[in-house]
Amino acid sequence: MSDVLQETFKELQKIPWFQELEKKHLEKLASVTALRHVRADEVLFHEGDKEDCLYIVLSGRIALEIFIPHRGKIRIYTVEPQDVFGWSSVTPVVHQRTAGATAVVDGLIACIDSEKLRKICEEDHDLGYMVMRRLANVVASRLLVTRLQLLDMFAHPESQNAK
Amino acid sequence: MVTQQIARPAAINTEHLLEPQWAEVTSITKEINDVSTYWLKFTDPAIQKAYTFEPGQFNMLYMPGFGESAISICSDSNDHSKIGHSVRFVGNVTNAIGRLKVGDVIGLRGPFGTYWPMKELEGKDVFISCGGIGLPPLRPAIYHILHNREKYGKVTLLYGARTPADLMYTNEFDDWRKANIDVQVTVDRGDSSWTGRVGVVPMWFYQFRFDSRKTAVLTCGPEIMIHFVIYEALARRIPLESIFVSMERNMKCGQGSCGHCQLGPYFICKDGPVFRFDAIQPFFNVEEF
Repeated sequence: MSDVLQETFKELQKIPWFQELEKKHLEKLASVTALRHVRADEVLFHEGDKEDCLYIVLSGRIALEIFIPHRGKIRIYTVEPQDVFGWSSVTPVVHQRTAGATAVVDGLIACIDSEKLRKICEEDHDLGYMVMRRLANVVASRLLVTRLQLLDMFAHPESQNAK
Repeated sequence: MVTQQIARPAAINTEHLLEPQWAEVTSITKEINDVSTYWLKFTDPAIQKAYTFEPGQFNMLYMPGFGESAISICSDSNDHSKIGHSVRFVGNVTNAIGRLKVGDVIGLRGPFGTYWPMKELEGKDVFISCGGIGLPPLRPAIYHILHNREKYGKVTLLYGARTPADLMYTNEFDDWRKANIDVQVTVDRGDSSWTGRVGVVPMWFYQFRFDSRKTAVLTCGPEIMIHFVIYEALARRIPLESIFVSMERNMKCGQGSCGHCQLGPYFICKDGPVFRFDAIQPFFNVEEF
C-alpha cells in the first residue's frame, strides 16, 4: 500500500461511519478516496456544479449554502467533523449540486469519487449495502434537520407563557 | 407512574400568594430585538433582603391594568441585590412591561415552581441543551455551576437560536468558557458572515461523547426542540431519571388553582416548571396534552 493510500486508510479508519467495515472494504474505499486540505473561505463547489464527489469532513467546518435572488447566499447547514456532505452524488438521478459548499475554517476533508464508489458498491454488494445503509442515515438526519428548520421552532409564541 | 421528587421553597408571601409586592426597575438590558432583561429590586428593603430563589424558578410579574405574566428568573441566585427577568414582548402584559422605564414599579409575586436539582447533580457531567428563550431559565443554573465549579464534572452548554441576532447573553460566553464550560452555539439559519454552526440543536448531539452513567441533561426551549433533545439523549442511553425538563405552559395563578397550565395530573406552575422526565413522559408530546 502506498504512503498516500495508507494515510487515507488511517484517516478513514477514524470515522465511526466506517468502523463496522471489514479491512478489505475499507481498503477499497481508500482506493477511491483523496484527502484534501481546505482553507477558510475556499469554495468546494457551487450550486449547479456537476456532482462528482461524496465528502466527509475530517476536521474544520463546511457551510452548505443556497443562493436566493435578492437575499444572497443563505447558510442552510454546517458540516462538522465526521459528518458527510455531497451525498446526492451517490444517487443515480441527481447530476447537479443542489447547494454550494464553502469552507468556514481551515480543515481536512475526504473526497470519495462518486462514480468509482458506485462501481465498487455494484461489484461488492456487501460493501454497497453498508455504504447505502450509512447514507440512508445521513439522509434521514438531514430530512429531520430540514423539517425542524421548516417548523421554525423559535417562532414567537402566540400566547404569553413563562420564559 | 414515577412521582417526581423535586422540592420547592415557599413563595415570599405564603399567606397571600395572590398578593404582589412592588418592585422598582433598576436597569434594563436589551438582549436581542424583542427581549430585554429587567433588573428589579423590591421597594421594601426587608422583602428584598428576605427574597431568595432557586435556579429554574419563576415569578409572576404584574402590570396594573394589563394582568400578570409568568417570567423565569434569569439572574444569579447568590446575588440578593437584584432580580433579573428576560422578557420577550409577545402579548399585552409583556408589551406593557416593554414600555417600563428605569424607576418605574411593577408588581411581583414569587418565587414559584420547582427548580433544577443542582445539589443532586453534584459529581455528575451536566449537559445543558436549550434554544431561543429557553436559555434564561437555565442561566441561574449556569451561575450556580460557576460558583461551585469543582462540584461538577464536564459541563456543556449546547444553545441554539433562530439566527445569530437571536442569540442571548453572548457577552457572557467567554466567562463561561473560562470556567471550563464547553459553550457550543448553533443557529437555524445564517448568512455568510456567520462562522459558527448552522443546524438545529438536537442534531449536534452526535458531536459529543457522553458517559451515560454520570451525565444529566437539562433542557428548556420550544417543546418540539425538547422532544428531539430527549430523543437524542435517550438514544445515547441517558436514563429517564437523569433528564430534567423545564416546561412552558400558560401559567396564570402560580399556585395550581386555576388549571390553565395543567399537563396530565400536574400543574406546571406548582408541580413544575422543572420536571424529571420520567414524571411527565406519559404526557409528553401527546396530542391534546
